[in-house]
Amino acid sequence: MLTTSFGDVLDRRALDDIIGDTALRVLKPANILCVEPGRVVGLVGETGTGLTRLGMHMLTEVSQQAPVAIVDLNGWISPLAAWEVGIAPERLVMIREVARDQWADVMGVLLRGVPAVYAEVPPGISGQVLRRITSSARKLKTSVVLRSITELPSGVAHLMISSQGVVWTGAEAGYGYLSARDLLVGVNGRGAGGRNQTLEVEDDGTDTLRMVGRVGASSR
Amino acid sequence: MGRILCVWWDAWALRRADIPSAEASFAVAKGKVIAVNELAREGGLFRGMQRRAAESLVPNAHVIEHDPVGDTRRFEPVVQLIEDVVPRVQIVEPGLVFVPITGAIDYYGGEQQVVDLLVGNIEQAFGGGARFGVADQPFAARCAAALAIERPIIVSDDAKFLASRDLSVLPNPDIVDTFRWLGIDTLGALAALPRAAVASRFGNTGLDAHLLASGDPQAVSPRIIPEDLVAGKVFEEPLLLVQQVEFVARELASELMTGLRAVGVAPRVIVIQVESAAGSLRERTWRSTDPLTQVAIGERVGWQMRTWLESKEGVGSGIVSLKLLPLEVSGEGRQLGFLEDTAAVQQAEQAFTRLQSVVGPDNVVTARRQGGRTPAEQVRWQPWGEEDAELERATIAPWPGRTPGPAPSLVPPSPVPLAVEWDGGMPSRVRLRSRWVEVLNWAGPWRRVGRWWKEEEAVDEYQIVTSAGAILCHVRRDGATFMAALYD
Repeated sequence: MLTTSFGDVLDRRALDDIIGDTALRVLKPANILCVEPGRVVGLVGETGTGLTRLGMHMLTEVSQQAPVAIVDLNGWISPLAAWEVGIAPERLVMIREVARDQWADVMGVLLRGVPAVYAEVPPGISGQVLRRITSSARKLKTSVVLRSITELPSGVAHLMISSQGVVWTGAEAGYGYLSARDLLVGVNGRGAGGRNQTLEVEDDGTDTLRMVGRVGASSR
Repeated sequence: MGRILCVWWDAWALRRADIPSAEASFAVAKGKVIAVNELAREGGLFRGMQRRAAESLVPNAHVIEHDPVGDTRRFEPVVQLIEDVVPRVQIVEPGLVFVPITGAIDYYGGEQQVVDLLVGNIEQAFGGGARFGVADQPFAARCAAALAIERPIIVSDDAKFLASRDLSVLPNPDIVDTFRWLGIDTLGALAALPRAAVASRFGNTGLDAHLLASGDPQAVSPRIIPEDLVAGKVFEEPLLLVQQVEFVARELASELMTGLRAVGVAPRVIVIQVESAAGSLRERTWRSTDPLTQVAIGERVGWQMRTWLESKEGVGSGIVSLKLLPLEVSGEGRQLGFLEDTAAVQQAEQAFTRLQSVVGPDNVVTARRQGGRTPAEQVRWQPWGEEDAELERATIAPWPGRTPGPAPSLVPPSPVPLAVEWDGGMPSRVRLRSRWVEVLNWAGPWRRVGRWWKEEEAVDEYQIVTSAGAILCHVRRDGATFMAALYD
């Protein structure tokens, strides 16, 4: 389940009151960190900032109805994390070790056949190819999450999410173990209502990600 | 009522020139034994047992990997010989065929004459070993063939013949266990139960078992198959390469199944028709006890085409047309999940089939959870569309020392060397690409003793938190450090 709120709508206490209510936790309010048919979401940031897991989370709802695909460039993406965030093993198909010159073809086939795709973007892919993917996704009503280390060209993503930091809890000078993390992400684009916003996301390793409402949003 | 002849070779996969007949041998597929010879059987081996158990029981046995293409190629002359006597042979698998002999009985003057003719021809050409059974239904004919060690068995009353058979002849072992638990041990006892009650309690699986046990016709729909459900393709340039043909086979299988699913049926029997560049026509019929899936059709077409392309009397001049015709269909469609969007699932399956030809079948994969301590060990990969592979490690075992959750989202295929600076035994800096980053915190070390008898090294496991994210790090005894996973 993905429960979200804009930073300027609810304060932390109010949000905790809502998500603490079991009955309400199963409801899905209009949220920002989800995929929509025909829309491209861009996840931009260095490896290690929690965006892979966030991207997988975005596919969970679609995966309840049909198979979803992950395009894994190097064969590193672990399905354990995908299962943990709520994608059923039988609904997840991974296309691994995709060479740069095959990437556009692979995406072309997936956009025509799969309702939601999470894809790592190889370095050096041209803006033209990416815009073609955006256009096809819109036409074919496919949800796409593009994970890139470098900036994506403007106009590609309906919603752009960039990493601004990650804080882990649980480990302390050799004791304990990593148990949860807070991601700080910047959100912009038409999917964010045209405003630059900063959101904090709690990820405790279960299939629930929570937006924390204490971070202020900045208007453009 | 039609009559069916079943011809069956026990352990066809082992009828190869390179297997010594004086040694115990068995064939394996996906970690399970699929065929054993007499010597291996005397050692306690049987079909369906795990490979490891078989190897421990008869350690000096000759083990061969299942080779369906080779088996099909070696079986082709048998099919041709039978077709010289009776047309429309239906292959279930290499070593097992059903032959509809109703027409031939009239032509040759009796059932016994047809059987004698086929037995004589086969034994003359291929030696002994084949078993023959005749009945009204394929299941009863197969059961008769299994018992026909010395001479053919001709069954005149399927229900009476099946009544005393043990339940273990049924194809679904799960339902057999359930019936045994209820005190039902023979097909006759099962057939005596009211069919409606069995269907109500055990669903389609129970109903199928009841139909087989009663000797009734299988749940084959007699409806006419619309012409446009035939999948076919004509090629301007003859196809000569096996890979080209296999690619087309997968596409046609996908096309055929899409059409059949739309009318809610699945095929039990398909006919593969090809035309060669030289003008010759070839045709072969494949049958399955369960409705065929897209992958199963693609496999069978691939085996058959490879056999034809590579055989002297095949279609060596190249293939100019390929057609798949569903001959018998079953109303038993694939059971979909409650929330599943049928159209979306079909589209996705077609896309994955196409992707297999773009990036290779081994790179379009699914995974299942299995036991293990490291994140890499806990995943069992398998190519998409294949039957579930055997798990390498049991999931129900406790696995003490397992890496604690949440699971890292990036796990390299093998640990990657990582430069770590230590200060008084504690990690202080980590080199990520070209820069050093400070260690903000860490957990561990947890000592993991590798399986020394398999030359696995002991490692100390750390979770290291840096400003650029968290890393699962392994430190070996010699101080070498490796990145085992990344928390992205």
